Amino acid sequence: MRPARAVSLPRVLASEWTKVTSVGSTVWTALGVVLTAAGVAVGLGMFVRVGDGTSGVSLVVSGVVVAQLAALVLGVLVGTADYATGSSTTTYTAVPRRLPVLAAQTLLTAAVAVVTAVVALGAAVLVTVAQRDATGLALLETDGSSRALVGFVAYLTAVALLGLAAGALLRSPAAALVGGVVLLVVLDQVLAANPGRVADTARALLPGVGARLVRDDAQLASVEAASLGPHLGAWGAGLVLAAWVLGLLVVAAVRLRTDDVLTGVRR
Amino acid sequence: MTAPAALSARARGRDAAAVHRGPTFPRVVASEWTKVLSLRSTAWIAIVTVVVSWVVTYLSANASSGDPGFDPSASLPDGLALSQIGTLVLGVLVGTGEFRTGAFRTTFTAVPRRLSVLAARTVVVAVVGALVAALALVAAVLGVLPAARSRDIPLDLTADWTPQMLLGSALMLLGMAVLGLAIGSLLRRTVPAMTLALALVFVVPVALSLASELVAGPPTGPAPVETDVVELDPVSTAVALLPGDAAFRMTTDPEAGGVDGAPDLGPVGGGLVFGAWILLPLVAAGVRLRTRDVT
Repeated sequence: MRPARAVSLPRVLASEWTKVTSVGSTVWTALGVVLTAAGVAVGLGMFVRVGDGTSGVSLVVSGVVVAQLAALVLGVLVGTADYATGSSTTTYTAVPRRLPVLAAQTLLTAAVAVVTAVVALGAAVLVTVAQRDATGLALLETDGSSRALVGFVAYLTAVALLGLAAGALLRSPAAALVGGVVLLVVLDQVLAANPGRVADTARALLPGVGARLVRDDAQLASVEAASLGPHLGAWGAGLVLAAWVLGLLVVAAVRLRTDDVLTGVRR
Repeated sequence: MTAPAALSARARGRDAAAVHRGPTFPRVVASEWTKVLSLRSTAWIAIVTVVVSWVVTYLSANASSGDPGFDPSASLPDGLALSQIGTLVLGVLVGTGEFRTGAFRTTFTAVPRRLSVLAARTVVVAVVGALVAALALVAAVLGVLPAARSRDIPLDLTADWTPQMLLGSALMLLGMAVLGLAIGSLLRRTVPAMTLALALVFVVPVALSLASELVAGPPTGPAPVETDVVELDPVSTAVALLPGDAAFRMTTDPEAGGVDGAPDLGPVGGGLVFGAWILLPLVAAGVRLRTRDVT
């Protein structure tokens, strides 16, 4: 008899890859990211006139606010699929150490999200070519443009990982989705209605602040000038988001390690 | 057959009576009421919604109580932006719940005239939404009181537009529950329905207002002097007509004016636009329920 090979990270990765790519939701949410990013950019481009004081890059990345929802759903579904279908029993019988599964899901979500975000960015650049030519907005004309383009990919990837972590932690797609939207969008809106030093500081510490990565220098300066909270800069804001992702992944890992994997399974 | 004739006749009579009564609307409402109220998620969402309403209103009233001209009744709707998510989620979960668990097979076998199930569910969700809204508004009033008392400003709930704003706030919370139910019943799957509901109410308005900032350039310096003729811009108009902003207009005072660059709907107009947003998916859900297979 052939000796059984041990469970290794590459093999866990292969099994998670099969799971992620064989469900329709991954393709649909990835398509959602691309279509919203390109659709918002081209829709907004119709309203841009010469002398609006906008820049080419801010038009290209303007779809990020809606596209982040699709990226969040992508991560949430990867994180909760096993629990929603009850296949977590099989998964964790095959991988009793459990943590390699979360590690593999993290790597795969990051990879899928990076590729999706790059495609979405490419689509947004291509569909706005004519509009940018007509208004004379060059893509890399303003300071910080290249950072905004890189930030677009980094932000969407981080949001997908935030969704994965929330999904793995809460084990319910509805709860993870609502939690993610509250953290990224709703709390920020509530705090923005009551501006002040405390509210602005809290806003600068929410994960949604990472969206400052997607702004060029002029926009960043105007956002920070309007805030009484700490001025983090684009990369500092990105670090706040990264800390949220890492923190939630660690909490999810602790739950995975200590809690019964049947808790939260729909039966 | 030696079965007692009297008994079988009585049993037949009972069966006939049961068949005769059939699934009448009050009985369908009663069954939906039991289903919604016996879920733990309903209780949790209601509790979280009310607590969130108290916490946010308390914090925001405290934060603004230092301002000169602090008006405690103006702080009442501050928690709504967050607590409306509670009733919206409640509605979506009620709308999709049976399709997720498979219980819809039992339901629609018992009530073959499917539309009355949707109508009963709408009634139940509206009632639960109204109860949660009432509790959330009491919580909001309790949240404002400490700040009002510390400044010795009496909180008069009957003055000016306050009663109308309170009614509007309740209608907004209730309406969000029915909007969630309509989207959930239409899409039948939790994740797509939740995504669409959250996108429509919370994400798209943010995206559009950022976009309008982008087109108009970031706000620089003091706002331009208000003139009578305000130029309408398409993006702000779209934001004002979305369910979130239209519903929020019901909770503000009629003289406050709407979004800059958009036609002012007023509280009643806002309510009508919000109502249209609810009716659209609800009617579509009814048509799908009536004409398509339930799966």
